[in-house]
Amino acid sequence: MIRLIKIDFRKYFYNRSFWILTSLYFLLIVLVFVGSQGFINKIMHNVGKNSPIAIPDFSLYSFPYVWHNLAFLAGFFKIFPALIVIIFITNEFSYKTVRQNVMAGMSRGEFLFSKLFFVFLYSLASAVILLFTALILGITHTQVITSAIVFQKMYFVAAYFLELFTFSILALMIAFLVKKQGLSIGVLALYFYVIEPLVAYKLPDGVSYFLPVKVMGRLIDIPNSSLMKIFGVNFREYIAVQDVVLCLFYSLFFIAIVYWFLKKSDI
Amino acid sequence: MDTYTLEIEGLSKSYGRLKALDSLSLQVERGNVFGLLGPNGSGKTTTLGILLDIIRKDGGTFKWFGELSSPQVRKRIGALLEQPLFYPYLSAVQNLKIIADIRGVSYSEIEKVLQLVDLNHRKGSKFKTFSLGMKQRLAIAAAMLGNPDVLILDEPTNGLDPRGIADIRELIIRIAKTGITIILASHLLDEVEKVCSHVAVLDHGKKLFSGTVSGVLSGSSTFEIAAEDMSMLEKILLDQQWVTNLRKEGRGFAFRTNNDYSATAINQFFVQKGIYLSHLTELHQSLEKYFLELLSDNHDSTY
Repeated sequence: MIRLIKIDFRKYFYNRSFWILTSLYFLLIVLVFVGSQGFINKIMHNVGKNSPIAIPDFSLYSFPYVWHNLAFLAGFFKIFPALIVIIFITNEFSYKTVRQNVMAGMSRGEFLFSKLFFVFLYSLASAVILLFTALILGITHTQVITSAIVFQKMYFVAAYFLELFTFSILALMIAFLVKKQGLSIGVLALYFYVIEPLVAYKLPDGVSYFLPVKVMGRLIDIPNSSLMKIFGVNFREYIAVQDVVLCLFYSLFFIAIVYWFLKKSDI
Repeated sequence: MDTYTLEIEGLSKSYGRLKALDSLSLQVERGNVFGLLGPNGSGKTTTLGILLDIIRKDGGTFKWFGELSSPQVRKRIGALLEQPLFYPYLSAVQNLKIIADIRGVSYSEIEKVLQLVDLNHRKGSKFKTFSLGMKQRLAIAAAMLGNPDVLILDEPTNGLDPRGIADIRELIIRIAKTGITIILASHLLDEVEKVCSHVAVLDHGKKLFSGTVSGVLSGSSTFEIAAEDMSMLEKILLDQQWVTNLRKEGRGFAFRTNNDYSATAINQFFVQKGIYLSHLTELHQSLEKYFLELLSDNHDSTY
């Protein structure tokens, strides 16, 4: 297992585009985390000038809500890791190095496994960045800190990890099935923005509830802000077990499809 | 019992309606330098792809070292299929480290194989900066990592300039002398003739012949004859069982004899038939001639 990680690691470590994309992605989410509160409040102040009721300042960063708020925000950027997954898997097909790896004595299962590990580690790294940024922002923006409120909603970090992992596995599946880089990215975007929304629109709610992108998007619901409470909107402030189960199911399902496909096809 | 490095039995593969391999059977003994000869599209690369687990077979079996194929078995085989496959942005050494890790070979081997193919001076350069000849040599270096029992080379000199071709051939001959089993696929006859001890000829996914190269060259003879009455000559030739591969060539007819007919015997035969030959030559048999004959035979029977 260590051997597989080591082999795959070498493929990324010396690649410049990998580091450029990764640093851009990490920089971007950290900037979004740090800047979002000021940004939202600035807009709300402008809106609030003519408002009959005073709009309270947003506090995105106070414990325990910081976990939920930032995990939700981070979810918008999950396309970046998915792109990296697609680029590096389709590279193996365009360089035909997947052939070389298998010829040299790697099994197809091991090849898939090394890629799954990459997806797992990359999602984990993103979650760790969320964890530390949220922790620092929380500590500096919360007046009274107790360990109870720090840890209370920390599980949103785990939920974010799961959302990212499931989405990246979807990207991995598309990359393995389509094999061409541009086409894979196109298929992912098309499915995400067009196909599933259309299908969901046609299907009854009870069925579209189970579609993968819906499931991933629902895992972390929109955080309730003080503004929303004014309007009486109330979103879910916890993670639903059935969403977690569905995400895990989809991850396994996509992996199984890739495994079956790899086993039977020429590479 | 384990004298066969490779046994293939009834291997088949179709792409849609095209039969790329039609129940191919072959044996390669240990220590052979085995040539797989055939025109482009005859099924050589498909065969090697199946043997290396890259392409899925439709039917048949094959065994390496008496065992069914597995990743473990593949670690004993070094291969270069069609073109060198490496990560373009990694250096030669980094690329070889990936292969070494896959095969479970120590990094200290890398120096040795780079020396073998004379690429030590460029080991830190990125793969994409290599010339085609260097890429091909690096691929041979990768194939030789971990001292494999078999080396598979598919068109190793394809696309190279004369200097590059000479380098690669010299390298193959040097490697062959170490006693390793080599399977060399090529459409270049003199390549096979120069390097190989055994040969199998493929066309349209079928095996037309297999045996030793020296056997091919000495087993039968080709004659070229002519007489004044060519139509009479043709009539007689067509009736003879011992005449094969009859064709018009130059001023007369060329044919092969399956028995060991000598020039004297042939001359005598025609004299008895009342024909005096105006021309009789025994042609020096080359693999190239034989190969073309085999192919034309095959086409005659299929079309």
